Amino acid sequence: MPRKVKAIVLTGNGTNCEMEMAHACKLAGADMVDIVHISELLFGEKKLSGYHFLNLPGGFLDGDDLGSAKAGANRFLHAPISGADEMLIEELLKFINAGGLILGVCNGFQLMVKLGLLPALDNNFTKQSTTLTFNDSGRFEDRWVYLKANAKSPCVFTGDIDLVYYPVRHGEGKFVVKSASVLEKIEKKNLVVFQYCNAEGAITTDYPDNPNGSTHAIAGICNDTGRLFGLMPHPEAFLHRTNHPRWTREVLPEEGQGLAIFGNAVRFIRSKDF
Amino acid sequence: MSLAVDPKKVDRFMSLARRMGVEATVLGKFTNSGKFHVRYGSKTVAYLDMDFLHDGVPQMKLSAKWKAPKHPEPAFAEPADLGKALTRMLARLNICSKESVVRQYDHEVQGGSVVKPMVGVQNDGPSDAGIVRPLLDSMEGVVVAHGICPRYSDIDAYHMTACAIDEAVRNAVAVGADLDHLAGLDNFCWCDPVKSAKTPDGEFKLAQLVRANMAIYDYTTAYGVPCISGKDSMKNDYSIGLTKISVPPTLLYSVIGKIRDVRKAVTMDAKRPQDLVYILGETRDELGGSEWFAQNGSVGSKVPQVNAKKAMKLYRALHKAIKAGLVASCHDCSDGGMGVALAETAFAGGLGIHIDLKDVPYRGKKRNDYILFSETASRFVVTIHPGNQRRFQKVMTGNVFSEIGFVSADGWFEVTGINGRLEVKEKINRLKEAWQKPLNF
Repeated sequence: MPRKVKAIVLTGNGTNCEMEMAHACKLAGADMVDIVHISELLFGEKKLSGYHFLNLPGGFLDGDDLGSAKAGANRFLHAPISGADEMLIEELLKFINAGGLILGVCNGFQLMVKLGLLPALDNNFTKQSTTLTFNDSGRFEDRWVYLKANAKSPCVFTGDIDLVYYPVRHGEGKFVVKSASVLEKIEKKNLVVFQYCNAEGAITTDYPDNPNGSTHAIAGICNDTGRLFGLMPHPEAFLHRTNHPRWTREVLPEEGQGLAIFGNAVRFIRSKDF
Repeated sequence: MSLAVDPKKVDRFMSLARRMGVEATVLGKFTNSGKFHVRYGSKTVAYLDMDFLHDGVPQMKLSAKWKAPKHPEPAFAEPADLGKALTRMLARLNICSKESVVRQYDHEVQGGSVVKPMVGVQNDGPSDAGIVRPLLDSMEGVVVAHGICPRYSDIDAYHMTACAIDEAVRNAVAVGADLDHLAGLDNFCWCDPVKSAKTPDGEFKLAQLVRANMAIYDYTTAYGVPCISGKDSMKNDYSIGLTKISVPPTLLYSVIGKIRDVRKAVTMDAKRPQDLVYILGETRDELGGSEWFAQNGSVGSKVPQVNAKKAMKLYRALHKAIKAGLVASCHDCSDGGMGVALAETAFAGGLGIHIDLKDVPYRGKKRNDYILFSETASRFVVTIHPGNQRRFQKVMTGNVFSEIGFVSADGWFEVTGINGRLEVKEKINRLKEAWQKPLNF
């Protein structure tokens, strides 16, 4: 009897991509998809333990007031759950230790790196070692980019994805590391999942194929179990061929290339490996 | 934000606000006293009759006097190098690419993006309208389009308004909007129209405002596009020393519409070599207030005038053709006329276009630059697959339209003039470069 896949999509305080992220989970075959406001977690009305797959969507948490997702990260680190004897961070760590999947897109990825959920070298999920800062262009960028997948990464979301095309929509997407040794560890463990490349798949630091100047063109990373994954581009914004910027002049498959990320997650949760 | 809450539910509401981290305060209550009563603690600080508050403002009695401005017709000769003229037109600020600005805003949030502001083979051609799907499990779409042409107010704010409304409607039609389901927004950006010491020409400015509103009535009723909202910004004047600068009377008209199936949407980029190029709608030498006349230091007087009946008939036919999948690309003619529209269609598609001006249905002074750059309203340039030609012509019957050329793989933009001479031969890459350069920060 296949496991019923339960997905939670977190929203509140400035998130604005929860609808399409929930839709992606639904299209991918998740049996239950709940859009949950963070206040419901903070008041114990909903619990992460009830789900397999936590989605952290794009948006502008707390208006990016302390830097993108910074206040959101502080909220996760320090907020208690009202009426319970537990901190929100403890509930999150329990979810991770139980093997739950976490996908952070754009603002969600920023939240994960500022919390320390990624790259979580040494399995410390609350120690920040990287960040996502202002694009080299100094501007918000809404454009589509090609991404080359690292076939050696343990990421459970990417399956046999090799080259995909997704939109980026961000002002703070430049991936930066705390030290050279952090970058070395990330690359050695194959935690780099996606890098910006050109249409032929050649990894690049040239603008606009690389829209923000990320170190080593890094667009997305995972932790060493591969169950925690964050990326700046928006797979949930390419679910149907009419999302593609050139769909009126190219013959494209009905399903957008973004759905595979969610499909792989759902399949993994149903599998014995979960 | 202010809310009215049933007193029986206010405790639950306040508890919800607290839970969601929202500061909420009960300020007072609605009564049937007919008074607006404000207290600070126990002290009354305001006590007004509601009738006075809502209906008590004294109405101004103003007079408006219309006197049509007279601008001389220009006396410049047709340029020797029309290709160079077109290149310079593409670089004009009202025409050039706005991509560097557009990409600084998220135009795809919520996952329903269908027609983006930039389209074409390199995602850099100028779309006429936007289409989004608000419900991700439905193929129904919402179309958003705009029209704005303040230069025409130098001649007559009535026709400026008519053209802005027509532009918004035709932009929506160009991507596939259904004509029976459009609504509009009128946004005024105007100079002070009240006569005073500071505004001695108030009576004329007020007449411009009155004429603009007459046009809103005439054209929204003719097109069946109700104004569901709008805004007025009425004091856009600046004084520096003794010089007063007033904005030209400007109406931004925006239209929201529906498209039943977004998969039928059409974008403006030329799609395939050998596709046929058509102009829809008659061109007249209406260059008053045009970019071409401005380029040559003139205003002129023959401002474009909208024939709503003919336009609606054409728009219905075009919509039918789009729904039947007969249209490969569609782009409306606006600033810079057909010359600019065709150049944009070509370079957005990464393809050449060859046209012959003698095939353009035209009435007026026989000049190649006038035909190319006239800003007559209600026109489109359309490309179609040759296999759809017969059906397309059948659908368009009863309207003014003509085949004027073809799309080519050679990357050249070529225009043969009315005397049979090749007047324009430019590489599309050079035209695109000129168009992208001015705001390419």
